[in-house]
Amino acid sequence: MIPRSTYQKVLGWVGLLAVLVIVAFLVLPAAVVTIAAFNDKPILSFPPQTWSWRWFGRALAYEDFRQGFFNGLIVTAWSSTIALCVGGMFAFVIDRYKFPLKSAIEGILISPLVIPHFTVGLGFLILAAQVGLSRGFAVVVICHVILVLPFVLRSVYVSLRNLDQSYEHAAASLGAGPLRVLTTVTLPLLLPGLVSGWLFAAILSFNEFTASLFVTSQRTQTLPVAMYNYVREFADPSMAALSVMYIVGTAALIAFANAFLGLGKVLNIEQSH
Amino acid sequence: MNQQPFLRIFTAPATLCAVGFIAAMVAVLQYSLRAYVPGSLDPGGFTLANFADLLKPLYARVFLDTVVVCAMTAVVTLIVGYPLAYALVRVEQPILRSILLVIVVTPLFLGEVVRTYAWIIVLGNNGFINSLLLSLGLIGKPLQLMFTPFGVVVALVHVTLPVMVIMLAAGLSHIDRDYSRAAESLGAGPIRVFLTVTLPLSLPGVVAGTTTAFAWTFSAFATPQLIGGGRVNMISNLVYQLGFSSFNFPFAATLCVAGLALTALVLGLLQLASRPLRKIEVH
Amino acid sequence: MKPSASAEGEHTAVYFDTVTKRFDDVAALNAVTLGVGRSEFVTLLGPSGCGKTTLLKLAAGFLGPDGGSISIEGKRVNDIPTYRRGIGMMFQNYALFPHMSVADNVAYGLKTRRVPKADRDKRVADALALVKLKGMENRKPRQLSGGQQQRVALARALVINPTVLLLDEPFSALDKSLRTSMQVELREIQRRLGLTTIFVTHDQGEALSMSDRVAVMSEGRIRQLGSPVDVYRSPADPFVASFVGDNNRLRGQFVSMQAKQAIVALGDALVRVPGESLSGLEKSAAVDLFVRPEQFDVVAPEEPCTIKGSVVAQIYQGGHVDLQIECSGGAGERLLVRSPGEQAVLRWPMGAPVGVAIQADQCSAFPAA
Ligand SMILES: Nc1ncnc2c1ncn2[C@@H]1O[C@H](COP(=O)(O)OP(=O)(O)OP(=O)(O)O)[C@@H](O)[C@H]1O
Ligand SMILES: [Mg+2]
Repeated sequence: MIPRSTYQKVLGWVGLLAVLVIVAFLVLPAAVVTIAAFNDKPILSFPPQTWSWRWFGRALAYEDFRQGFFNGLIVTAWSSTIALCVGGMFAFVIDRYKFPLKSAIEGILISPLVIPHFTVGLGFLILAAQVGLSRGFAVVVICHVILVLPFVLRSVYVSLRNLDQSYEHAAASLGAGPLRVLTTVTLPLLLPGLVSGWLFAAILSFNEFTASLFVTSQRTQTLPVAMYNYVREFADPSMAALSVMYIVGTAALIAFANAFLGLGKVLNIEQSH
Repeated sequence: MNQQPFLRIFTAPATLCAVGFIAAMVAVLQYSLRAYVPGSLDPGGFTLANFADLLKPLYARVFLDTVVVCAMTAVVTLIVGYPLAYALVRVEQPILRSILLVIVVTPLFLGEVVRTYAWIIVLGNNGFINSLLLSLGLIGKPLQLMFTPFGVVVALVHVTLPVMVIMLAAGLSHIDRDYSRAAESLGAGPIRVFLTVTLPLSLPGVVAGTTTAFAWTFSAFATPQLIGGGRVNMISNLVYQLGFSSFNFPFAATLCVAGLALTALVLGLLQLASRPLRKIEVH
Repeated sequence: MKPSASAEGEHTAVYFDTVTKRFDDVAALNAVTLGVGRSEFVTLLGPSGCGKTTLLKLAAGFLGPDGGSISIEGKRVNDIPTYRRGIGMMFQNYALFPHMSVADNVAYGLKTRRVPKADRDKRVADALALVKLKGMENRKPRQLSGGQQQRVALARALVINPTVLLLDEPFSALDKSLRTSMQVELREIQRRLGLTTIFVTHDQGEALSMSDRVAVMSEGRIRQLGSPVDVYRSPADPFVASFVGDNNRLRGQFVSMQAKQAIVALGDALVRVPGESLSGLEKSAAVDLFVRPEQFDVVAPEEPCTIKGSVVAQIYQGGHVDLQIECSGGAGERLLVRSPGEQAVLRWPMGAPVGVAIQADQCSAFPAA
């Protein structure tokens, strides 16, 4: 018989190896894209013969990308902020009150989690045409609000659950009316949850693609839509360069969120000891 | 006394959103029952013909392919995701944990297009894998990885892996470690502890993760479109083609409705199958 | 000064009139009537889940009653929200606002009342001085010890001159010695300011030592309302007798009534007990006697006594000794007997046969359930 300690060691190594392989699978595309982005030739080849930065310059100068980026910022700013307000307020009433149609409204607002984005996109496209709304930013923003709302709702709801009601009771007992309690006690204590909910919503909205493909027009297309169109037409490494910038930017945001908000808590995956 | 301050003000915007969303879904439903008038953007009268068309082999085939791709992706993602979730929850060093967390979470927020594009570079004929295998002399000519179901599933697994890991980790993290410590103290080896304690207790997370992975894959568009390249078609691709190439919005809507019904059916079955599991949920 | 429970008088500060509160199918409070006099310190005492917190929350206005009415200073407050009730409240977990400094916490209630800044600063300083926390103004709550946080919470509740001070198990998180000193301090401040106070606890020692009156609750009802001495010496029913303080329950048989006293047979012995609660009983009806550990006298086995037995455990408590005595014969019942003075340790060693006598007219008796 193999002694138990050796057996456990072997098991540990096998586990470690498996995790390393999976992590490699996760980071492989990002690594490959990074290599491709520095390839001097416009045609894909591995390993690249000559290296250069020029595709980064091309990507930054490409008009569709620039416009997509700024459109994306506009859509993201509006939709994540609206979703934060709408979702934050509704999370508050779900947590506190009973009222008619509560679970119906909640169910409807959560359902985009399992409804395919192409269905949502098509729905808003048709609806906009039916009510005579032109295909401007409004439709895109509304569509994004609906798509990111479930995440905001959940994030704020979890923070509200973890907020001890005695703080608000204490404030009320000291003579603070509902509005004052809300602004001086509830909101400040909820701030981390609100910030992470907003961040969540913003990142998701900025990256949303499928529904955006349906509801944006040439004038309002967001960055993912512009990238998709580019990939369909061109094969040069500009897109790889843009992807690298994208990956670095997102990873930095995530690392920032992790350091300041504790992603583990937000995602509800802290080990209970 | 007003025991529910802000109730109306706070419910109104959400209600408005819910109504808007319902209106959009009703619009889809309504279009699915309208006739297609070729050459016109406006639909014709009410009809059930669209639903009858669904039975045509061409469309039935796409439905079948979609379900197969989704199911395969969900299962592979589960198998690949479990060890990673386990590691994420059990790693003790804060730095290692943070690194792992960022690696897992970042792709979640990268969006489908960037990730799919990366896989094109990995899987293409001049791509990373083929170049590597060729230069090692393992193959004589490039493998066909693009435009195959295999390529689509690999890329989709990569797309759904983060969310699966997060859901599994959420389930695992709420299992009290004392359970496995207790099992260890009773003389169970690590594999037995895993099989008899950890795995059964994590089943709710498994169900949640699989459900979400299925729904996400079903929703994927860019991956089957760019990596499937027309040879692996999913419902999403068909909807887009119908809508933006032939302006047949009524039939596109019909496909959406059928897709919704299919999702509901599969998710319902998953819930039903997992009902016995709920008995062993912790707390 | 002490109003009766059943009528609202001009000295009543808080009055609960047949208040009922249900949560779904649970009746948390069942027609509770309670009057608290001005400057009085009343404690709600009862086991977990009996409705103490619920009653306090109704007074504070965090909950609304399903039936009955609540008045503060003669004014019906059923429809007045918390923030206009002028109460002060202290919470079990203190509920100090973590994002504000100590001074801002204490000043909060004054700001809501729009007290001008100069006046406000002075009152905050006075309140912090009252609870001996000078110099801590700029700390955040998490930089304070449990006892200090407690004092900040008290200062915050006091600085607004509340009409009633409500406290929900404020000391339960403190260690024993700190708890005792806080009890003394709170009572001192309460007396000095003449504050009407409703205090919730499930610690009967705390209830007996601090209160003017104690309301013993169980299952949503007030079982007895009286001074600590009343509640301890003459419990109103078996629940109060067994909940408040240590008690031995002995099953006996009713023999007869003599004037205001009843004679009860305990085995071969006859005991004289207060008889009000037994009037109307038939001869040889079962009766429960509740005898406190200190209401027994331990005697040599040959002396006249009520019960015979032997010592099975000695618990030395410093000032007194607790003896566990197993009754001879019967099902081996055990009595807890408290014997003053340290000689008891030597006088009644383990295994020694002893007799136990009930002090005349001291115990309480109820018809057995
Ligand atoms: N929000 C609520 N919803 C449903 N039931 C409740 C609620 N609050 C209290 N109850 C129930 O009402 C009863 C009284 O509760 P309450 O909190 O007043 O007890 P308590 O005497 O303060 O107990 P403890 O000493 O444990 O604090 C309990 O049975 C409790 O389960
Ligand atoms: Mg309580």
